[in-house]
Amino acid sequence: MGSAINEPLETTRRGKRSTQQERAKEKLSRTWPLHLMLLPAAIITLIFAYVPMGGLIMAFQDFKPYDGMLGSKFIGLEHFRFMFEYPDSKQVIWNTLIISSLKIVFGLIVPFAFAILLNEVRKMFFKRVVQTLVYLPHFISWVILGAILTDMLGSKGIVNSALNAIGLDSVFWLGNGDWFRFTVVVSDIWQNFGFNTIVFLAALAGVNPSLYEAAEVDGANRWKQTTHITVPAMIPIAVVVGTLSLGNILNGGFDQIFNLYNSLVYDKGDIIDTFVYRTAILNGQYSFGTAVGLFKSLIGLILIVFSYRMAYKYAGYRIF
Amino acid sequence: MKKKWLSTLLVLTCAASIAACSGNESGGSNGGAATNKPDNTGGEATKAADAGDNGFVNGKYSTPITLTTVWGLNENGAIFKEGETIENNILTQTIKERLGIEIKYNWVVTNTNDAYKTKLRLMLSSGEKMPDVVAYRGDLETVNMLIDSGQFMPVGDLVDQYANETYKTGLELDPAIWLPITRDGSKMALPILDYAYNGDHVMWVRQDWLENVGLQAPTTIAELETVMDAFVNGDPDKDGQKNTIGLATGFKNGFNNWMTDIGFVFGAFGTMPGQWNLNTEGKLEHGSVNPAAKEALAKLKEWMDKGYISQDAALYDETAGSELFTKGEAGIMFGPNWLPAWPFPDLKTNVPGATFKAYPVPGGNDGKIGSAGGNPPSNGYLFINKDAKHPEAVLHYYNWFFENTANPQPDSEFANGFKEGYDYALLPDGTLTADIAKYPELFPGLKDKAAPPLFYALTYEGARIPSLYADTHVKLASGAAAETPYEKQEFNTRTKENTDAMKVVVDQKDIRMKNYYMGPLTETMQSKNELLNKLLNETFSKIIYGQQPLDSFDTMVENWNKSGGEQITKEVNEWYDKAK
Repeated sequence: MGSAINEPLETTRRGKRSTQQERAKEKLSRTWPLHLMLLPAAIITLIFAYVPMGGLIMAFQDFKPYDGMLGSKFIGLEHFRFMFEYPDSKQVIWNTLIISSLKIVFGLIVPFAFAILLNEVRKMFFKRVVQTLVYLPHFISWVILGAILTDMLGSKGIVNSALNAIGLDSVFWLGNGDWFRFTVVVSDIWQNFGFNTIVFLAALAGVNPSLYEAAEVDGANRWKQTTHITVPAMIPIAVVVGTLSLGNILNGGFDQIFNLYNSLVYDKGDIIDTFVYRTAILNGQYSFGTAVGLFKSLIGLILIVFSYRMAYKYAGYRIF
Repeated sequence: MKKKWLSTLLVLTCAASIAACSGNESGGSNGGAATNKPDNTGGEATKAADAGDNGFVNGKYSTPITLTTVWGLNENGAIFKEGETIENNILTQTIKERLGIEIKYNWVVTNTNDAYKTKLRLMLSSGEKMPDVVAYRGDLETVNMLIDSGQFMPVGDLVDQYANETYKTGLELDPAIWLPITRDGSKMALPILDYAYNGDHVMWVRQDWLENVGLQAPTTIAELETVMDAFVNGDPDKDGQKNTIGLATGFKNGFNNWMTDIGFVFGAFGTMPGQWNLNTEGKLEHGSVNPAAKEALAKLKEWMDKGYISQDAALYDETAGSELFTKGEAGIMFGPNWLPAWPFPDLKTNVPGATFKAYPVPGGNDGKIGSAGGNPPSNGYLFINKDAKHPEAVLHYYNWFFENTANPQPDSEFANGFKEGYDYALLPDGTLTADIAKYPELFPGLKDKAAPPLFYALTYEGARIPSLYADTHVKLASGAAAETPYEKQEFNTRTKENTDAMKVVVDQKDIRMKNYYMGPLTETMQSKNELLNKLLNETFSKIIYGQQPLDSFDTMVENWNKSGGEQITKEVNEWYDKAK
């Protein structure tokens, strides 16, 4: 998606200065229908992503719904101070970082490996079926998954019964802090790895078969082909996926945690979003919620910019 | 030349400003006249008639008066016959004809996403003048904003003078009904009454299990433990497997729940967690930090270790907890009288032949007993504008519903419902029906759903007599025949278990521990509630699961006080001193 926009830009840049304007004009006359098709998306983004940013003003106000956004009193950085002085903030931010880093790392490794394995499958039908099946859980709401998992992982659930059957002790998956993190990360990967698998498979479909033929002629076995052709072909797209997911480092996954957590695992499982839900939404402190949201977005932005620079410097890859 | 020009300008300006001024004035007086006209005539009539009755003679204003109001259309009250609206329908017409009171709606919104609340709050913030009467059902924050606006009058004298006996009796059932709306001793709104005792708990026990293990229903905590032990180890479901537990409970949402309650254990030691209790010194204290809670936690830990309660109780909310009972895994569950209507039918499906019965909440071993509940039977308020010409009309209005529709006598006008063709119809053989899908021709002008005229009322459901629901079931439980239309309806729609449970509730009405704090969130609550609740729930759960020692309760109390609990206790008591 990125490279398609990239290439014409590159050619323009390489063009001679004198003809640059002419070429741009000529190109526009050729591509204007494409721009027109882009317009609805641009307008929707403007309306739903940029206009609401005006609401960020609430983060600096003592917002009262009946005073409105223009009438509420400005209190500067008070909410940010509150956020950092709040006794549980450190714990909550720390939990979020741990859970989301684990999710990001394994959320990259698992589909990466899975795509390579699936790519080796010769039977097209089997490949398609598996691809669809692993993608399906992505569409199930956490409200439902939460209930299913609570039941499956319960003291008399199917998982513990299986453990007991092979002579192991029951595990209190959702009531023990460390196991809770494990459960959250594994169930998240299970739910979402199908999506990235498809992205990686798409990248693999674009690899020129002649590369494999040439490698075979040179005497490379299947493993060598994988490490020297398949993996390098996937690195750029892996960098893109990784970079984009870094923006979510402060999102631990609200729906998931909210539907799975309980008072026994607050110390290991409570994340920023669930904390904000309890403080800001339940107590009607909308300004505080906005302040935390702004803080999260800022960190996300910094991380994306940083990782993008790194990706450009070391992998030579540009998204934009 | 120049002078002339200047003077013309001056004259013009003058004329313009005069025109503007007089324009405003006339506009204002016109507006005033338009809204006040009926009131004025009513007022004149008052002077003409007896001074004390404001023109209200023999149950009717001889010269019709107008009450202005605003309204949010709720889903269940928004079904109208063709051609009718909230402004003009069978109810407003009846009220106008019988009482001489015309209800005028200044605005009406469809009450989705709290639109009504938002509009009210906008009115308040822009300082707009409130109508004669405002009904509100919802959060206490808005109730407080309405009171604090200063636009509404104290209603204490009005109630004394005009409320009929039924309404007065309902209000007197629990004087605490006034607490949330009392300011410096003045009662600032009329409570809209609801049925009482409906949320209070009983102990539901699997009767077939009791018989299988050969035990009587427990009356104390010690006896309860014996029964739970038998339910865990005595194979009460006779399937040859040790797969049952004693008590169905889930405390994901706290330790004071509307169903699958565990609060009674705390009650047996003399406190109630998650609410504000009145202590012996007449002060309010948070029940979760009372030393008695520590004893209750020790008891619960013991139960957890012995397998009397589910290993997963901390993961379950009320609904998930109740499934332990309805799938036949647990033998005891605490909850309201109406559980036989929901969710107990699931038990009948899952375990054919299962029987259950309601028993009184068991007490502690030293005679202490308590269960959350007994909160005042009110579910909304009517605010009366202090400038209203006829504030007493609101009471006449509410009285009328108490007299005519709340508990109609057999063969009276409203015995079958409000109006034939609206909320009921009579079949040729004289039987009553509300089944519009089956008899659409009997409900002309309506589609799919019957119209509920009582739901158009300013009081949301006409009027409810708080004691009626409980009284009816106590009467039915004693074996008496259903006589009035209300009794017949309850008799036909509720199960025997339900009726018997209501009698158990009423017999135990003195054990209820109500939440004494009914004010808005205090300043410290807003910033500290989350922290404090998290601390309490986390420590409670971890103690029960043995993840923290019992003595961490003391550290928790200390932390709770330090982190704002002490300040909140102070604020809560300040409110109570002012409100009581």
